[in-house]
Amino acid sequence: MAIIEVKKLSKNFKVKLKEKGFKGSIKSIFKPKHKIVKAVKNISFNVEKGEIVAFIGPNGAGKSTTIKMLTSILFPDKGSIKVLGLNPMQDRKKLAYEIGTVFGQKEQLWTHLTPYDNFKFFGAIYDIPDAAVERKIEELKVLFELDDFINTPVRNLSLGQRIRCEIVASLIHNPKILFLDEPTIGLDPVVKENIRSLIKRMNKEYKTTIFLTSHDVGDIEKLCKRVIIINNGQIVLDDSMENLKYHYLNKKIVEAKMKEKINLDDEDGITILKDKGYNLKIEVDTTKRSVADAIKLLNPDNIIDINISNIPLEDIISNIYKNKD
Amino acid sequence: MKKYLFIIKTEIMSNLQYIFNVIFGYVGYFILLFILFNLWKYLYSDPNELINGYSMSQMMWYVVITEILWMALGGKKLNTKICNDVKSGNITYNINKPYSYIGYSLSTHLGDILVKGVVYFLLGMLTGLIFLGKFPSLNIIQVIVVIITMFLATIISILIIMALSLVAFFIEDATPFYWVYSKLILILGTIFPIEYFPVIFQKILNFSPIYVVSYGPAKLFVDFSWKSAVVIIIAQIIYIFIAYIICQIIYKKGVKRINVNGG
Repeated sequence: MAIIEVKKLSKNFKVKLKEKGFKGSIKSIFKPKHKIVKAVKNISFNVEKGEIVAFIGPNGAGKSTTIKMLTSILFPDKGSIKVLGLNPMQDRKKLAYEIGTVFGQKEQLWTHLTPYDNFKFFGAIYDIPDAAVERKIEELKVLFELDDFINTPVRNLSLGQRIRCEIVASLIHNPKILFLDEPTIGLDPVVKENIRSLIKRMNKEYKTTIFLTSHDVGDIEKLCKRVIIINNGQIVLDDSMENLKYHYLNKKIVEAKMKEKINLDDEDGITILKDKGYNLKIEVDTTKRSVADAIKLLNPDNIIDINISNIPLEDIISNIYKNKD
Repeated sequence: MKKYLFIIKTEIMSNLQYIFNVIFGYVGYFILLFILFNLWKYLYSDPNELINGYSMSQMMWYVVITEILWMALGGKKLNTKICNDVKSGNITYNINKPYSYIGYSLSTHLGDILVKGVVYFLLGMLTGLIFLGKFPSLNIIQVIVVIITMFLATIISILIIMALSLVAFFIEDATPFYWVYSKLILILGTIFPIEYFPVIFQKILNFSPIYVVSYGPAKLFVDFSWKSAVVIIIAQIIYIFIAYIICQIIYKKGVKRINVNGG
């Protein structure tokens, strides 16, 4: 059953224009000019219950605008949205009880208070009885390992600890869907990994549907089974991670250290990426040529060391962005 | 309602961390009061003389009350916060929470200034007592009524400032509206009671917010009558109702226009 249904959704912004310099500033007072920016153009997609979906795209692609329309923050210009069967614009309050949001770049916690007091606050605004809030805090404290700092004012927490608390605060009311907008932004790799595993655990334990935007390929690769790529306000790819890898990971990178120099030119299925005499880096398109073929070309007896790897997902995604521009 | 009381409680908890800032902030209030006391002392050649119906002692107690309402309100802070919230798009993060933004902002600001208000009230009374030697003749019930009118006056002030600040949805900079409003309130009701102005002007002022946000509670404190108390409280309730509706209309119209830049 689709828990989020988006049909032909569009959103335009009116942006003020100003000609350069002082003259332009004066002119803009008397003759203001505007331009229409089409942030989201006629997009449609569904999200099923319990899914973890990555909604990604370059800066200005329209992903935050979309997430804000789904969470009833922005009014769409055209199209329809149903989240848990509710219209975010008409049933804003009702929907608020059913969804949780975490914006990595925006604090929703009260910084002078402790995480515990913050959780109590969120419990109160979601009308949860006191005893139920206490139980939930206890449960989430264990799941998110907050014991060491649950009574430390938020302003004294590290970024990683704060993000953990932000996520917990958005889970106090048992939301059915959690919208995470760049939850790991600015975190170090260890903390990122920790947050990812907690998100995964949460999805498993509570069956919470997770709709995630991120610039971090690690988040997408490690958390999501499905990815929607948006660029210039349009969906350019909506596929499972498996398919994405299958279709786009048909290229392998072969790096070899040679005993003797070898003369190799680009040929069908093989592209020379780097040739430094004894060190060679080639890209093999496996739809045209097998990796074994490529190695034969290098002469296996001549190879001292070899490394065969996939193209990084980051490169795949940026290629998708570029190709669909 | 329960959640808004919880918001007030949370804000008070947050502010109690800075109780010493509040006490030090009283210094500014004290200096202003000291200047006004000396000014009125100079103007009243005889302490028993009446100017526009006020004795010197009444005039000084009048400014004690209006200055508490003025200084504890934190109007500039509220105005700046809401204007910035609207301009930066931060206001949107409150939209998808299960509360009304107007109710939430009113509660957070009330929580923010409640501690300050109580401290200023107690220290203001003490300062007045030291300078003037005795309180106006009020019984405890009458004092409670005055405190209630001061509380309602604060709610009206917050709602009016919110309405003026929410205009930021429609224009680039809404701060001048608050600037004009605050200066009007300061002159026409905070420093001088309504009786100090021409009779025709007084009739207009009696229907203006000045009557309910500063003049009314202070006048009750220096010259209490149950009739005036009832009139002031009814006027305040009507003002709260109207100001709240205006805030809601501006907010609902404005929020549809909001542009938020995303990543």
